[in-house]
Amino acid sequence: MTPGAAADDAPPRRVWLGAVVGVLSLVMLAVAYVQWRQYKLLDSAAHFQNEALGWSFSQLETEQLRLRVQLADYLSDPQPDSADKLQLRYDIFVSRVGLVDHERAAGIMRDQPTYRPAMAQVRAFVKQADRTLGDVPARPLDAAAAAPLMPMLDALNAPLHDLSLGASHLLYERATERNDAVRQQTELGVALTVFQCVLLLALAVIALRQVRALAERRRRLEALAANLHTARHDAEAANRAKSAFLANMSHEIRTPFHGLLGMMSLLQDSRLTPQQATYLDTARESAHHLLTILNDILDISQLETGKLQVNAQTVDLLQLIGQVEALMRAQASTKGLRLRVDVGADVPRWVRADPTRVKQILFNLLSNALKFTPTGTVVLQVACGPHARIDFTVSDTGIGMDEATLGRLFQRFMQGDDTPSRRASGTGLGLEISRDLARLMGGDITVRSQLGAGSAFTAALPLPAVGAPAPSSDAAAAETGRSRPLRVLVAEDHAVNRAYLEAVLDKLGHHGVFTTDGDGAVQAVRDQQPGEEFDVVLMDLHMPGMDGFTAARTIRAMPPPRGRVPIVALTADAFQESRELAREAGMEGFLTKPAHLPQLREALQRYSAGASAHEAEPVDRPVPAAQQSASPLDMLTVDDVRQALSAARYDTVLSGFFESSVAQVGAMRRAAAQSAHTDLQHRAHSMKGAAASLGLRAIAAVAQQLQSPAPHTTTDELTALLDQLDEQFALSRDECLRAGLIGGGGRAVTPPVARAPA
Amino acid sequence: MNLSQPVRRHWLAAVALSWLGLHGGPAAALDAPSGKVILTLSGKLAQSNDNGSAAFDLAMLQALPQHSFATRTPWFSQPRKFTGVLLRDLVDAVGGSAASLRAIALNDYRVDIPADDLRLHGAMVAYLMDDKPMTVRERGPLLVIYPFDDAPELRTAIYYSRAIWQLRSLELR
Repeated sequence: MTPGAAADDAPPRRVWLGAVVGVLSLVMLAVAYVQWRQYKLLDSAAHFQNEALGWSFSQLETEQLRLRVQLADYLSDPQPDSADKLQLRYDIFVSRVGLVDHERAAGIMRDQPTYRPAMAQVRAFVKQADRTLGDVPARPLDAAAAAPLMPMLDALNAPLHDLSLGASHLLYERATERNDAVRQQTELGVALTVFQCVLLLALAVIALRQVRALAERRRRLEALAANLHTARHDAEAANRAKSAFLANMSHEIRTPFHGLLGMMSLLQDSRLTPQQATYLDTARESAHHLLTILNDILDISQLETGKLQVNAQTVDLLQLIGQVEALMRAQASTKGLRLRVDVGADVPRWVRADPTRVKQILFNLLSNALKFTPTGTVVLQVACGPHARIDFTVSDTGIGMDEATLGRLFQRFMQGDDTPSRRASGTGLGLEISRDLARLMGGDITVRSQLGAGSAFTAALPLPAVGAPAPSSDAAAAETGRSRPLRVLVAEDHAVNRAYLEAVLDKLGHHGVFTTDGDGAVQAVRDQQPGEEFDVVLMDLHMPGMDGFTAARTIRAMPPPRGRVPIVALTADAFQESRELAREAGMEGFLTKPAHLPQLREALQRYSAGASAHEAEPVDRPVPAAQQSASPLDMLTVDDVRQALSAARYDTVLSGFFESSVAQVGAMRRAAAQSAHTDLQHRAHSMKGAAASLGLRAIAAVAQQLQSPAPHTTTDELTALLDQLDEQFALSRDECLRAGLIGGGGRAVTPPVARAPA
Repeated sequence: MNLSQPVRRHWLAAVALSWLGLHGGPAAALDAPSGKVILTLSGKLAQSNDNGSAAFDLAMLQALPQHSFATRTPWFSQPRKFTGVLLRDLVDAVGGSAASLRAIALNDYRVDIPADDLRLHGAMVAYLMDDKPMTVRERGPLLVIYPFDDAPELRTAIYYSRAIWQLRSLELR
């Protein structure tokens, strides 16, 4: 049955159902009526004792005969005793007459022509007899008076006998008639009952079909739902894959793009003709715009995959607004617009918020307002709403929007001005990102607008007010952008990472104390001298001997103040599980390798102060395995690290890493050959961390495969991976040489093995 | 009927009397009728006034608890009011203990009335109809009547046949 047929079927079936129920009700009424009739018939038959009439006629005949016998008796011997008996017999006879001589009896006997004459004859006899035997006799009873009664009584013999027989026959007929009537009614009743049964069966069949149809419909709906579910699942999977691809692509594009920007910066510093400078400005502007678009795409794909997270921390809201204002004022003044910022008196200074994301929303709303306002004023109004909500309203005197545009506004790739000659440029993703971010924070963005009368966007964000953080020298230092020198204990087993961290700490002006395992870290904390306490411990989680978790627990078990030293976990894997374990072991912070300079600076500032322990914004930059075909270097990281360390130091660290590679890979090969998988994995883990820190992406990728191989990986496969590692070392070194990253210093560089540069 | 029958009856009557006396019931023997006998009870009874039977005249019936009700009957087109004594009271008055009563009419019509009818259905011996005595011509002087209007199950030929007219005697069996 097709769904259409089922739909067409339903109304006739309902009509049928109604018809059957109606007929059934009528039949039941009819049966009830027949049964009531039958009851009345029987009741009246019993009540009126019609059958008794035959008996009464026969009794009358009997009494007539008995009276005659008594009369004859009296006439033969007229004694008083006999007279009394005659009187009684006569009275009984008369009482019997009354039972047959009435209108109802006449009605029943109407077909008997003898009835009326016989009754008249009886009445005549009674009239005659009453003269001597009545209640008030006209003459006393004696033989002379009784004698004339005899012939009259005899004359009654024949008619009374006829009547008796006639009544009997009549009543047989009546009984037969009534039996027939009862039989007919019973037959009718049976027929009706059978009909009722048939109707009930029909009803049952219809009901059954209905139930089946319903079950069938439900089954189809379930199947449909299952299909839809699968389809949705597939669609979501496809969408996720697309988002992931988009994220990877934007990431991929950004790396060479930074190179491009850097080159353009260098170019700007060189001698240029004014025309060339103009060209370069345009190129830089375009490049910056492109970068914005890339960031937008990255954000949206992260929002879609749910990767983007809001990290709330205590924020100076007024300062944040000040920063936004400062940046936007420049933009406004270049366009000749006025920018006004109104902050309500009740707006709290300290709130819990993700400053980066709040800024992003405000930047987006303000730059949109500036973009679409040719002349006039753009106002940012900050006011307190209910439920710890803060409303950021950006209103302008710009072109405004009509209803249709408002409806499309938050849709992807839509812009208020969709005409070909649009004055504004952009991805059209900004508003969507802003609104998604606002919703991620538990708020929303709404808009009011009128064509030609400007627009007002309101970002209502739940930013709960908090108390001001305890003023500390570190906080003060953080605000001024400088920090006091810290004593930092670093537990890190990999020499390259130690060198890298030493360089970074040096650059930040901190003093690092290094140890290679957990035992060393515990020892160092225990033995610290007064006045030389550690401000913070950076703890690698995976180390030979005592690992970071155990070391953290051991330190936490020490009496204060030693047991209270802030510990920041440092690891190459960014699994949530590791994070939880670290937290359980008593570590406040968590930094993902490669830990770049800004993250380290922030973490050190935050945790060394012992102030509110917030987790550092996780730097989820897992080593993308799919990028092996690309450059073996992660130029973004390379740039960052190089900038952080200075080119010379980076050269030193990088060269050291390459030099140690032969020994490292050799040790891994031995471990693989001896099936010492734990050792192999540990070495691979260390190598991955170091390589990732230095931006050697391809090496890190292979090391990761070695660190967590698929189950049942054979030694041959491991050897193949190790060969691959050698190859990547060679390729990476070539690349570094080509990019001028190594070989710039005085240090001798081991010439490339195996293959020459292409 | 053999000779031993009345003797045994007397003896039984004596036992029944002593039992009644022990229990404080009316110990006096049934009075002899002073007027014309209209009803005779015979059979299983404890008190008698006429050689093992209990003969009643109208005054004796009137001395028993009186009842009256109106009912429709097959024999009259209108409901009639009947007055008399309950069969139950009558049987109790003679210390009767019967499973059934055989009622006999003047014309020798007879019918058996089960004792259940006495208790359950309030069968009555009526001597007044519409507050007037009934002559033999009017199916009197006594008749057995049931409250037919009170219970539908009484309106059957069985009960109509038990409503005997011209009642002459009752035999307790």
